[in-house]
Amino acid sequence: MEARRQRGPALTEVSATRSVAAGGSARSCIVLDRVSLRFQSERREVQALSDISLSIAEGEFVALLGPTGCGKSSLLRLVSDLLAPTAGTIAVRGEPAAAARRLNQFGFVFQEPALLSWRTALGNVQLPLEVVGYPPDKRITRCMELLNSVGLPKFKDAYPHELSGGMKQRVAMVRALAWNPPILLMDEPFSALDELTRGQLQDDLLQLWNRERKTVLFVTHNISEAIYLADRIVVMSPHPGRIKTILSPDLPRPRTDEMHETQDFLKWIRMAREALQS
Amino acid sequence: MSDATSTIQNRLRDKILPPLIILALALGFWELSVKVLDIPPWLLPAPSDVVDRFFKTTMLWYHTGLTVLEALAGFVISAVLGVSLSAGIVHSRFLERGVFPYVIVSNAIPIIAIIPLLTIWFGFGIAPKIMICSIISFFPIVTNTTRGLKATDRRIIEFMRSINATRSEILLKVQLPSALPFIFASFKIAASLALVGAVVAEFYSSDRGLGYLIITSATQLRTDLLFVAIVVLAALGVSSFMLFGYLERMATRGERTEETR
Repeated sequence: MEARRQRGPALTEVSATRSVAAGGSARSCIVLDRVSLRFQSERREVQALSDISLSIAEGEFVALLGPTGCGKSSLLRLVSDLLAPTAGTIAVRGEPAAAARRLNQFGFVFQEPALLSWRTALGNVQLPLEVVGYPPDKRITRCMELLNSVGLPKFKDAYPHELSGGMKQRVAMVRALAWNPPILLMDEPFSALDELTRGQLQDDLLQLWNRERKTVLFVTHNISEAIYLADRIVVMSPHPGRIKTILSPDLPRPRTDEMHETQDFLKWIRMAREALQS
Repeated sequence: MSDATSTIQNRLRDKILPPLIILALALGFWELSVKVLDIPPWLLPAPSDVVDRFFKTTMLWYHTGLTVLEALAGFVISAVLGVSLSAGIVHSRFLERGVFPYVIVSNAIPIIAIIPLLTIWFGFGIAPKIMICSIISFFPIVTNTTRGLKATDRRIIEFMRSINATRSEILLKVQLPSALPFIFASFKIAASLALVGAVVAEFYSSDRGLGYLIITSATQLRTDLLFVAIVVLAALGVSSFMLFGYLERMATRGERTEETR
């Protein structure tokens, strides 16, 4: 059972500077230039991504929306240098993706929490700090601060099997933020959760994003989730994966649960659905 | 507090008492049959005779110690080499393709066939016995550890790579700990195999050790001594099995409770 916790008012989320993202006047954080990716599987060659060009601003929240097989997960792995593109270039804050990875600029969150079962919640959040060379005396403080921010201070000594699905994903989320990387890469992070928990985690994420000022690249196949969270939505089509269109919902921030029923929100849902189906 | 004592009592009643009762019944039946049917002790000594012999055999602990030493040394060598080789196999496709077939071959050759060869090369001392123990316990350790290292959650490895973790960091912080249940399971098998290896090697060429004790007491029809050696071996096997079984359970604690929920 999800321990329902006191949720602070979402008012801390300020939206004043967010709208610059759509204009492209802000400093570019991630730039993909005519990126293609081909996989050589045993029998045939698979074109996973074809001719992707995209520029993401510093501090922008971008959702990659598309059906399974459109290569959106591969795109995250290209940006974070876990995969190398077959063609095209990727620049992260003016440097190649590999350099950005060496500088620990990416925090990765997956669909599965992917926690270490033999480490406590605190130990799991601490894992990346041990790798990136975070000052040892500040590790615990930093981890506790993060666990506090997602309402899990009481569960710091709990092992993953003692946590609910939502709690585990919260731990995975703050693990990806532990060393304060500027870029957060999220691969359908909430798709395995139930509706209610998903809503809570979406709000948690928006608060974290606002407080820690991250650039977020968020993969999802859920239209409503994309619109609720993102500044811009990159709609993709499969076989081969390419960008169909980019939507910039000008919904006000902070975003609240009630927004899901507004005319504006529904209008953007409709537009996204049409873009996906066209 | 009362909760803890009651679980201990429950464990005693459910797990420990039934086998003890069966054991007592079997021993009683055995003792009685030997006495009533007047079976000669060289054919089947009574349990009381075996216990008697156990306390009278002064050299017993010397022989036992030697066999344990051989088995333990061989096992430790295998554990160190085996886990290291597995780590290498997981990191290098060349090593996996080049070495793994020979690991399988090492298991296919009957160990008994190698003992004479090792005796020619290394004599009648302790060295060839340790080698036998090591060879016999090598295979399960390498296969299981490799499987365990490969079963690591792909996502966690991706996460580690995305923060530029080195291969050794991934191995030490993620792969090895997650393979621990597999490793301990293989140790459980390997330790009993090492004990078998030590005894068999002593059969062939030795003037000491439990294997030697078994062979000599058999040829001299000192069946009570034979039983003593068997009981000691059984106790050794069971304790190593229990030790590694315990470690395995400790290491799988998290996963198991998750499954049973």
